[in-house]
Amino acid sequence: MQGVAEARFVCTLPTGLHARPASVLAEAAGAIRAECTLLNERTGTVANIKSVLSLIAADVRNGDACVLRARGDDADAAIPVLIRLVTIELEAYEASAAETPPTYTASVPRALRVPGVAVLEGHPVSSGIASGRVVIAGRPELRVTRETAGDANLERDAIDRAVQSVHDRLSHALAVAANGTVRDILFAHVALIRDVTLVQWLYDRVAQGASAERAVADAGAFFATQLGESGNTYLRERALDVHDLMLQLLDAIAGRDPSEAAEMAIVLDQPSVVVADTLLPRQVVSLDRQYVTALVLEQAGTTSHTVILARALGIPTLVGVANAMRLAPGTEVVVDATHGIVVPLGSSVERAFYQGEIEVAERRTRFLQRTAHAPCRTVDGRALAIGANAASAREAIDGFAAGADGVGLFRTEMLFMERPAPPSEDEQYETYARSVEAGQGKPVIIRALDVGGDKPLPYLAMPVERNPFLGYRGVRLYADHPALVRPHLRAIVRASAHGPIWLMAPMVSAVDEVQWFKAQIADVQRELEAEGIAFDPTMPIGAMIEVPAAALLADHLCAELDFFSIGTNDLSQYFMAADRDSTHVGALSSARNPAFLRLLRQTVDTVRAHGKWIGVCGEMAADVEHLPLLVALGVDEISVAPTDVALLKSHLVQLSGSACDGVLQKAITSARAADVDAVLAQEGPAAYVCPIIDADLVILDDASANKEAVVHALVSALYVTGRTDLPQVVEDGVWDREATYSTGLGHGFAIPHCKTDAVRGASLVVMKLATGVDWGSLDGAPVRLALLLATRRSDASNRHLEVFSVLARRLMHSSFREQLLAMTDANETVAFLKQELGIDA
Amino acid sequence: MNIVAVTACATGIAHTYMAAEQLEKTAKTLGYRIKVETQGALGIEHRLSDDDVRNADGAIIAADIGIEDEERFHGIPVVRVPVQDAIKDALGVIGKLPRGQQA
Repeated sequence: MQGVAEARFVCTLPTGLHARPASVLAEAAGAIRAECTLLNERTGTVANIKSVLSLIAADVRNGDACVLRARGDDADAAIPVLIRLVTIELEAYEASAAETPPTYTASVPRALRVPGVAVLEGHPVSSGIASGRVVIAGRPELRVTRETAGDANLERDAIDRAVQSVHDRLSHALAVAANGTVRDILFAHVALIRDVTLVQWLYDRVAQGASAERAVADAGAFFATQLGESGNTYLRERALDVHDLMLQLLDAIAGRDPSEAAEMAIVLDQPSVVVADTLLPRQVVSLDRQYVTALVLEQAGTTSHTVILARALGIPTLVGVANAMRLAPGTEVVVDATHGIVVPLGSSVERAFYQGEIEVAERRTRFLQRTAHAPCRTVDGRALAIGANAASAREAIDGFAAGADGVGLFRTEMLFMERPAPPSEDEQYETYARSVEAGQGKPVIIRALDVGGDKPLPYLAMPVERNPFLGYRGVRLYADHPALVRPHLRAIVRASAHGPIWLMAPMVSAVDEVQWFKAQIADVQRELEAEGIAFDPTMPIGAMIEVPAAALLADHLCAELDFFSIGTNDLSQYFMAADRDSTHVGALSSARNPAFLRLLRQTVDTVRAHGKWIGVCGEMAADVEHLPLLVALGVDEISVAPTDVALLKSHLVQLSGSACDGVLQKAITSARAADVDAVLAQEGPAAYVCPIIDADLVILDDASANKEAVVHALVSALYVTGRTDLPQVVEDGVWDREATYSTGLGHGFAIPHCKTDAVRGASLVVMKLATGVDWGSLDGAPVRLALLLATRRSDASNRHLEVFSVLARRLMHSSFREQLLAMTDANETVAFLKQELGIDA
Repeated sequence: MNIVAVTACATGIAHTYMAAEQLEKTAKTLGYRIKVETQGALGIEHRLSDDDVRNADGAIIAADIGIEDEERFHGIPVVRVPVQDAIKDALGVIGKLPRGQQA
């Protein structure tokens, strides 16, 4: 029915109708026949809803009242669909915006706050400290090589071909992109390149007599200006995306291979810090990862795709660094994203400070290495294996090198992605064999292919499902795809000849599925035997526990299987009926939910009662705060990223299993997730057996030259030994106390202290200084011995405070002071203090 | 001479106790009797009894913050100093008390 329909709404998206939601809206509107417009009542702009650029240019912000109008055949039907989109469904696409980290101002470490040290300040948008030589880069400009236009139709054709070419390339890149962030950005770019406003604008320009290249260059300038003039920082940063696309169009028109664009590439040949006003997303992706150590941008935007990518790729990055472009190329600098500063290594002060930081980092690594390479137990002897997750042979090797007790989850689907056809059986066999060989006798748990509607493969036709997450995936689709599954299982079974491989099925929800899976494996084994190919006939067979039904059917599954691994990510989502990625409900799908803990306990208890093995993969294991819960649950193993293995082991050996039982009990009997948070924050630290003094906290030869360096060194001792993960907070606490009056109590002694929950347990650090340091002491004498007293705000017992009060009193006696000053050995010092302060062994 | 004292520093971890120790040590060398109540992070320890105060010739309050029950000392000479002073110069602080009877 021909007609006009309209409806008014208020935009509730926190960052307004920006690139991603605009792309989604434009795409959905494309299916509507009627002409659809959106009027932004605040600005008076009218946008064509089918055009992403047009929508973005309308600058619809949170709170703006808008009117949707449809004119045409299906106008009446169209309006409700659109209203539903803008008021409900677009909320789900907030992901990119939500990733924006809180920015904070740079804080210059006290040791660098001296005249002569030049520091550039900026906002860190990803973490890390790195050094390198400055390489000044820039984004390429839109170069027109052919100004003279030929026949207008030919120019138009050139544009059509270029748009199609760029669109195809982007679509292909989108299909194979493994990184979610890269995918999101490509999706937005694909929408932009298909934008009707853009194409029409190019046609119009050509009709006016411009060459195809000239039209593209002008379009770039026009849309960049439009976006640049919007009052919205987020929109201004979208101009980079448009610029990137225009460059690609120019390359296509001129017949240049975009991957060879000379001015695009930033050539690096040594560890380098790339400095630019801004960069295009594509330039970030193509930086040589071997040489780029950090990124410094003068522009302050934190939400551009450039920045989002740098963070996703783990490149330490600072933005908003004024005058960064004035750094001379080749200057050696440190980019310190912890403090938000760029420090040219101009003098010994800067070098000494960062050399010190490097040494602290190395000491921390050595401390972690003490426990990383052997199976670990709690203080009271409970064993918990720490495995590593892997998606490739390389990652398995890394995991074992990091000290993993096994690979707790080998994700096979990654081998199947990023390619036009599945890997061959031999290719897979190589990968699995190499992975298990790297373990030298430690098990590798391989999860059979976990793909489906939400994890699609380009060459595997999937039915269109309304809700792929609750659909045809994992073991459910194996029976229909023998050509894919059979060689896959054969490869895994063959690899079992090379070492202990355990094979598990994903998405198990019923006994029938398990029996079918086992029958397939038995079939494969018979086949291989007939072919004379070796394999391990005792290979353990197991299942992921991610569907709640499997958890509650554990007793029957135990009769069929040897082991289980709990996939907490999906299990909690299915269990709480909440999508982790949703900004609205994501928080519900948390391991800290008491109901979820009950499910885990019941499952683990059942499996253990049947004498079977059960581990945990999934993000619950990665959070160190959850470790007491996992210890108390009594799982056999947890599996984490290779980089987390050493940290978790280091924590495990300090935990008291019986104290962990208490933590779990309190958490599991709670009524709400917030209560569990409180239990973990307050009771968690108390589960650690953390002596107030030990030899690692006694340093008898510190060379610090001033008070700032001494305090920094004292706090670093806490950081190295894992007693704090937030050394800056502790250091700030110490300086807050110093501001009241100096803690130098005379006779060459200082007793800096602070009360903060940033320390895991009360600690006493003893440091003898090689040279006397001015402390502003009561008697003016330089300090030779500094003692750092750190306690938690919320300590259950007064024991530690008693120890400190006794120490304080002893310090008033010259005999005590003299004995302490005479100490030459850390263990002797610890013994002396324990005796004097009444601390048990 | 009988002295009572209360020490209290802001953070309550160290200086409260150092001042107490210093006052006790110094009073002892002077041959005086002293009882020191500490008000620190451990709470109130060695709380002064009514008798202690009644028998005292003077009170020293070495504090950077307000102390509890300051009314107890109405009626006897009180010397009020920052905690630091008691640590740095306990002798001088004790000397500020009017010399009542000899101990």
